Amino acid sequence: MISGTTDPAAGTVISADRSPLSDAALVTAARGGDMRAFERLYRLHVGRVLGLCLRMTRRRDIAEDCVQQTFVRAWRNLGAFEGRSAFGTWLHRIAVNEVLTYARNHGTRVEANDADEPVEEISEGTGELDVAEVVDVERALATLPEGARHVVVLQAVYGYSHEEVADMLGIAVGTCKAQLHRGRRLLRERMGMKELES
Amino acid sequence: MNEKSRDPLDLALDALPRDVQPDRDLWAGIRTQIEVSPSASFPAASRAAARPWMRLAAGFLLVVASSFTTYLLVQQSAQEQVQQARQSAATQLQQAPSLPAMPVSFGGHEELGKGYLQAREALDAEFKRQVEMLPPVTRAKLERNLADLRRAASEISATLAEHPSNPLLQELLLSTYQSELALLGSVGEVTASTLNQPSRETRL
Repeated sequence: MISGTTDPAAGTVISADRSPLSDAALVTAARGGDMRAFERLYRLHVGRVLGLCLRMTRRRDIAEDCVQQTFVRAWRNLGAFEGRSAFGTWLHRIAVNEVLTYARNHGTRVEANDADEPVEEISEGTGELDVAEVVDVERALATLPEGARHVVVLQAVYGYSHEEVADMLGIAVGTCKAQLHRGRRLLRERMGMKELES
Repeated sequence: MNEKSRDPLDLALDALPRDVQPDRDLWAGIRTQIEVSPSASFPAASRAAARPWMRLAAGFLLVVASSFTTYLLVQQSAQEQVQQARQSAATQLQQAPSLPAMPVSFGGHEELGKGYLQAREALDAEFKRQVEMLPPVTRAKLERNLADLRRAASEISATLAEHPSNPLLQELLLSTYQSELALLGSVGEVTASTLNQPSRETRL
């Protein structure tokens, strides 16, 4: 688990999850070369970036490597970040790119017949479902074919639009919609859910 | 739409946690890599000022700003010592009021020295004069970077006013001022390189 801060003196004022400074101010300070500001950004965003990478790769060791490379690349390219999107969205784009690059270089493509592989159990979850139900959802998600899983994770879990997902994954919007439809159908089957009547 | 009428699959996906904390702290590995990486500085701010007087002025202001921070930290330390003394020895209580109050912010003009402000205004005036000579795209980029820095300094300063004893905020504010001064001081080189290459857009 992450600690609140590496600077104990600052810890009482700036915690890891509730910084009084906006991302924009921290990014500006980090662009000036201030590594402490960048560390603060890391602590604010690492959870969400890891969640994304873990669901895309299904393996914690690979996901953590991708997270590290995401922040290293973000540091090197901070000068190019113009604030047109939220900093978190920009980070996610880098993270998705890291995951895809890793898969290309290491041939980690995972298909549906790998369903017997042990699935990384992520955490307890939130909302209406109990822990066991959330674990079931994670497991069903992890058994999806890679293309469908990536789209479902980005669109249905992290809330990106079809256009954003298509852009991140380098696919056509139509392909993105088709993969989402396929992914949702497979999820229903594997979780024993009926198709909702429209 | 209420919860009952929602698609159970959407409810299930909504229940997934978006954040997953790492089992180990990944920051140490990231820091090791970025320490050997090129600094993520403002492009224009990484260049040295072409005009010697601007370089000297920027350097002078950095020294002044650094000294001011040191002063604040020393004052803060002194205050803490006085606080401890208050608790341990009643006789030292009387010395505490003689210490000047810790400024809540050194982002506000009233907290900075007159000489510093005059020198900074001169740099700012020169910056404005020089950017007039630059192509619109280059000028817009420099002005946006400067606006970003000043917005950040303003926000950090306001936060520092609420948390005056936070050394991280003090250091962040100082580094933001340093970036601002470096950017103001570097405009001369950008102008010179642009004027020397009139057919090419300066890359920042």
